[in-house]
Amino acid sequence: MKEHIDKATFDQILEMDDDPDDRDFSMGIVVGFFEQAEGTFKKMEKALEKKDLKELSSLGHFLKGSSATLGLTKVKDACEEIQNYGAGKDKTGTNPITEEDSLKKIDESLATCQADYKVVEKSLRKFFGVENDSEKNVDK
Amino acid sequence: MSLRDRFLNLSMHDRAQTVNLPLITTPPEDNDMALSELKGDPKPSLRTNDNCASDAEHVTPQHDASLYRIYRYTPVPTIVADANLSIVEVSDSHLALSGQTRDTLLNTSICDIAPSIVPVPDTASLYGAIRAAISTKQIQLIDDIHLSDKKSYFRLQVTPIFQDRALIYIVFEAHKDTRDRSDSQDHHHAYVNETYKILVDTVKDYAIFMLDTRGNITTWNPGAAIMKGYSASEIIGKHFSVFYSPEDRRNNKPGRGLAVCLRDGRMEDEGWRYRQDGSRFWANVMITPVYEFGRHVGFVKVTRDLTERKAAEGRLIAAFEESSRLKTDFLANMSHEIRTPMNGMRLALSMLTDTELDNNQREYASILEDSTSVLLQIINDILDYSKLSSGSFSLTSDIVEVESVVGAVVRNCKSCLKPGVTLSCSMPPNFPQTMRGDPLRYRQVLQNLIGNAVKFTEKGHVKISTSFAIDTEDPRMYNVSTEVVDSGVGVPGSAINTMFTPFTRFADTTRRKYQGTGLGLSICKSLAELMNGSVGYRPNPDGPGSVFWFTAKMGRTDTRVSMRRSSMLPTDSSENLIKKLREVAPRKHILLVEDNLVNHMVMLKLLQSFGFERIDAAWDGAEAVRLVKQTPLSYNVVLMDISMPVLDGLEATSQIRSMNIDVPIIALTGNALKGDAETYLAKGMNDYLGKPVHRNHLLQVLWKWLGT
Repeated sequence: MKEHIDKATFDQILEMDDDPDDRDFSMGIVVGFFEQAEGTFKKMEKALEKKDLKELSSLGHFLKGSSATLGLTKVKDACEEIQNYGAGKDKTGTNPITEEDSLKKIDESLATCQADYKVVEKSLRKFFGVENDSEKNVDK
Repeated sequence: MSLRDRFLNLSMHDRAQTVNLPLITTPPEDNDMALSELKGDPKPSLRTNDNCASDAEHVTPQHDASLYRIYRYTPVPTIVADANLSIVEVSDSHLALSGQTRDTLLNTSICDIAPSIVPVPDTASLYGAIRAAISTKQIQLIDDIHLSDKKSYFRLQVTPIFQDRALIYIVFEAHKDTRDRSDSQDHHHAYVNETYKILVDTVKDYAIFMLDTRGNITTWNPGAAIMKGYSASEIIGKHFSVFYSPEDRRNNKPGRGLAVCLRDGRMEDEGWRYRQDGSRFWANVMITPVYEFGRHVGFVKVTRDLTERKAAEGRLIAAFEESSRLKTDFLANMSHEIRTPMNGMRLALSMLTDTELDNNQREYASILEDSTSVLLQIINDILDYSKLSSGSFSLTSDIVEVESVVGAVVRNCKSCLKPGVTLSCSMPPNFPQTMRGDPLRYRQVLQNLIGNAVKFTEKGHVKISTSFAIDTEDPRMYNVSTEVVDSGVGVPGSAINTMFTPFTRFADTTRRKYQGTGLGLSICKSLAELMNGSVGYRPNPDGPGSVFWFTAKMGRTDTRVSMRRSSMLPTDSSENLIKKLREVAPRKHILLVEDNLVNHMVMLKLLQSFGFERIDAAWDGAEAVRLVKQTPLSYNVVLMDISMPVLDGLEATSQIRSMNIDVPIIALTGNALKGDAETYLAKGMNDYLGKPVHRNHLLQVLWKWLGT
């Protein structure tokens, strides 16, 4: 789990809870992130169908910001890749690549991103005791 | 026309064609006399010219028919002229040689007939020979006169005939030069010539050929044939400008080349030349004028094909630039990548130290903190270095309070002082309170120099003195100079020349291990140069230790700018700072502009935890501009994300600034490269915070802009 979540950054979020027993704030943030991530993934899939690289890059940047804030390192890295590919650049954003390559790479990175997301989602749900988003987490 | 008149005439009309004395050879046995004449010894015998006219009158030439026949039938082509240089007799052999008739030559001045008829190389040589013959009364010889139509060489013998002091005749005899030049008596000369000919004909990589005086090609070696694609028969006789581009020809580059060559004695040039098939090559061309017996006869031209070398040079330069760029990119990317987890560690550490720890744990935590800050310093150094070396580093123009910058650096360095070492600073009382410059970079150089002094001083003192002077060239500028004197280990002589070079370190590793990348001083040097100043070193004159000095040019600010902030980061502990900020926070109005819900919530929570109560939220740049426009004087600070939908942070900042609203705007950026931050500052933002936002950093920046 260490490689998935940067503990220091995540702990900063936990520190913000007024009451460590109740975790009201951090849980709200995390659940908010779940909604945001799933919504963003849907938008990314649509944009991928439409081959809208600009939109993909912007969505990647968007989700990169929030996943970084929570310290979700792997998701953040995959989002950064999507941002770079979407901008027509290679993985690290240094050299240009073709549009065709970009779409192919985004397809791969998106799959990785979603897989990594599933792992952290499961672990975070366990941590906060929010088992399934359709059942309990609405009390936010 | 008398002879004197003729010479006078010559010197009036023929200035350019000065008499070329080296052309004339006086027979060796008479050298003494010629020399004494040159030295100007007044010898009566030499003043013959003055008297010749009067003498000639009373010594009337006796026309002895039998003696005349000598000159008419001599086999040596001969012309006899009288004292006025008028031709009085021509031998049959001369008529046969020159192809002239006696009538055309008789009673004509020798100077008026074509030089090749005499025969002489040119009229100037003839004048020279006549003048020398008359003044020395000696026979003069003009050697190596080439008659191309006869394909042979002649030697003209000029014999002055004096009767007492009076010149009565001058006899011109053209002796055929019997030396066969291709198979000559001068075997050595021939051998050398032949050797050179073989050499030139064997050279395949160089085009070596000759031009005549006008630039027409006269010889062609195999190297030339290979390089330029013309065979000898195709090119000989053509002008050498065929090798030049049409543009060069229009500019008369070939002709100018020859002129330069004649003036300077040689001409070297590099440029594109063209082959017969129209392809071009990069040529190095060397042209040398050729003189034969003092006369310019043509040029030797040597051409080398440097296309390969030029291409190799180009590849080398490109490869170097590429590798240098890759190195810079690599350093920048790596540093960026390392900074992200570093920030996480620092954040966790700063929170760890805020928890209740026992003494052991606190010590470990402080070791961790020290190490991470050193590590971060190294990464920042490398980032700075890669920026500086790629030339993309720029300074910001801001207000610098030198006194408080020095004070802050001194406070900062105090904690690192070795026990018993004193740290003091002095500054003239009239030191200007503010100047215009880059406070961050100024501080960085000071920090480095003072930090070094503190690090390397085990006992004694570190003294900092700062002074200023109005720049002599630009009265709007100050020259600020700072000297850091320490009684530390000093700099070994071997390191003095290299210490400002990147990645060099001279710390004595056997005595103590000092940390560092060896980049500090080289960064200082580059930064000082960016500030139109310099850094330097000299040994401490009062004993062991060093003196490092640093100068920078800063703009004068006569009116103090009313900016409610301290120009430096506070050095208080975070507990202290949060206490102070909590006091002022409830009265402050903040605008938070962030499009990402999660980040927005976290920032909001952080700000609330600092005690802020009035926080407005905007979700994109356009909304932020609208809010600021509605209540222009209300906000004390704006925290602004960079990439946002509708209107990004930079554009929003520009719009806010265009309304003349000077509220501090702090960028929230995911980018750690300092150059980007500088772009933000240039766009009108005042400061920046890297993402994810470090709690203590946010605290410090807010205090910087909100604290009084």
